[in-house]
Amino acid sequence: MQLFLQAIGFGLVTASVLALMSVGLSLQFGVTNYVNFAYGALLSVGMFLTWTFSVTLHLPFLLAIVCGVLGTGILAVLISEFLLDPFVRRRKSLFYMLIVTFGLSLVLDNVLQIAYGVGFKQYPIAQGSPLKLGPFSFTKSQLIIIGVALVAMVVVRLLLEKTNLGKSMRAMSDNPELAAISGIDTRTVTRWTWMMSGILAGLGGVVLAINDVSFQTASGDAMLFVIFAAVILGGIGQIYGAMLGALLIGLAMEISAVFINSAYTQDIAFLILVVMLLIRPQGLIAARGKA
Amino acid sequence: MDLILSYVATILVFFFIYNIFTVGLNIQFGYTGILNFTVITFMAVGAYVSAVFAMPKAVPGSGVYYVLGLSWPWPLAALMGVLASGLLGFIVGFIALRRLRSDYLAIVTLAAGTLLYGLAGNYNKAFDGWAGLFNVPQPFGSITNWTPTSYDVFFVVMSGLIMAVAVAFANRLYKSPLGRAMRAVREDADVVESFGKNTFKIRMLAMVIGCVFVGIGGVLTIAYITALSPAGWTSGETFVVWAALLVGGRGNNWGSILGSLLVAVVFNEATRYLPQMPQYPNLIPDIRNIIIGVLVIAVLWFRPQGVLPERKASFLELPRKASSNPTSSIDLAFETEVAK
Repeated sequence: MQLFLQAIGFGLVTASVLALMSVGLSLQFGVTNYVNFAYGALLSVGMFLTWTFSVTLHLPFLLAIVCGVLGTGILAVLISEFLLDPFVRRRKSLFYMLIVTFGLSLVLDNVLQIAYGVGFKQYPIAQGSPLKLGPFSFTKSQLIIIGVALVAMVVVRLLLEKTNLGKSMRAMSDNPELAAISGIDTRTVTRWTWMMSGILAGLGGVVLAINDVSFQTASGDAMLFVIFAAVILGGIGQIYGAMLGALLIGLAMEISAVFINSAYTQDIAFLILVVMLLIRPQGLIAARGKA
Repeated sequence: MDLILSYVATILVFFFIYNIFTVGLNIQFGYTGILNFTVITFMAVGAYVSAVFAMPKAVPGSGVYYVLGLSWPWPLAALMGVLASGLLGFIVGFIALRRLRSDYLAIVTLAAGTLLYGLAGNYNKAFDGWAGLFNVPQPFGSITNWTPTSYDVFFVVMSGLIMAVAVAFANRLYKSPLGRAMRAVREDADVVESFGKNTFKIRMLAMVIGCVFVGIGGVLTIAYITALSPAGWTSGETFVVWAALLVGGRGNNWGSILGSLLVAVVFNEATRYLPQMPQYPNLIPDIRNIIIGVLVIAVLWFRPQGVLPERKASFLELPRKASSNPTSSIDLAFETEVAK
């Protein structure tokens, strides 16, 4: 029982990491309607930009995170503006977009590898000793990760429900043509969506790196299909679905790590993805017209 | 002289093998519109399975572990490798092809590839982990006393013949009723469905046939180089096949062959002679991957039909509006997919 509760504690941390990433991917998918296979590479960009700002440029760690995360957001906007969006407007094909983002992931991964090498890196922060919280025990950084994820989820929620931008994004997600003729500036909304997707990817990458302690350029891509599993489990393009999917996958991974074998946590995520695709491919919260 | 001959032989064998990969992917993507983002995994499965059937039992205590080790004659072992590749294609297709959106298959292939890569590396009891298999017996190597050179010539002829049969089969398939149905599914699956065709079955067939092709290439790969480790089948390798297909011209097998000549042989061989920098051993492979990625994106932007485009049957068409001018009817698939 003690072990089980401990696993749930770890599961909550993994779920928090996963939630940041999944919401970022799902948000962009909802608005632009194609899957970004370069998302794993964007996670790594966030991790390594933060590492550069912190270790190479000696910024305080929090400031380094802000710079790294914003940098990832800006890179995502640039990618959309100069590569993906022109493609969407020139060649209206899902095939093209998937291949282009897949190719982009290859380019970004290898650029990172040239810049940073293949070795493992660490952030210059102490892990801290575990704190007891009822039946759970967390390190300080794990508590911060959960806190960051909760705040980010609330911010995303408020943004989607209360602001004009969020309403426009939801409108585009429901029906892009209708949104466009209703006077929504779809290009600006797309830009902001990529900014948010990039920021969440960067933040997700950083918390993943903090949680895993050491990281390399391939760490982001290794996470990519776990994110897909969470997003598809919740319902692709659905923000709250992505949160739910992240929670379930995170818990399942950590509980299986304790009771089966920690080497096979990713296989559990894949198994869930497979079962979901076989019995309910539209996801727990189905979006109309997305599956 | 022998050295040159053996070099030419190596290049020819790789050219033939890449032709088989590219034509296999062409059946999946070019004919049917299936996005297989882990081509190279099917190569690895074919290679590994054929190897463990052909190799003798792993020596206990040698630190090398692999399953089976049945010392089967090569043709039978090769058949098992090809079957394993097709079976994996069937499983992956069965999971993902029932949905119409092509992203699901792309995601599942990528996930399966990542997973199998990690499993093959971390679980070292099956295929010797990250070290990989080596000393794989060469086909017919023990029957007669080949000299290395005559064996190279023999292998060139054998792989050339296998490739020729594979390409002939693919060309025949293209014109067959099944091939027409595949191309129709690529253009508009709903229309095909409304004519009473089972699109799931058609797509499954394309998936499995393509994977069998890639498996054949994998069997030949490990038979020729006699070793394979996970480092030999990273996602960058998948992209070489994609680049070959897209540069050459999807939907056209001659395009696939031209593409694998240009990308897999000329480009890959040319970058091999770039000066190595000892302090950055990964620099050249990294740059090669970047160029391959950029090449694919550039081809899709400037000439998405490839160097040798598919020749499509042309019918009387009404003039299109100037605003919407899709270069290929594959483009229309996006709009129909989105509309669902």
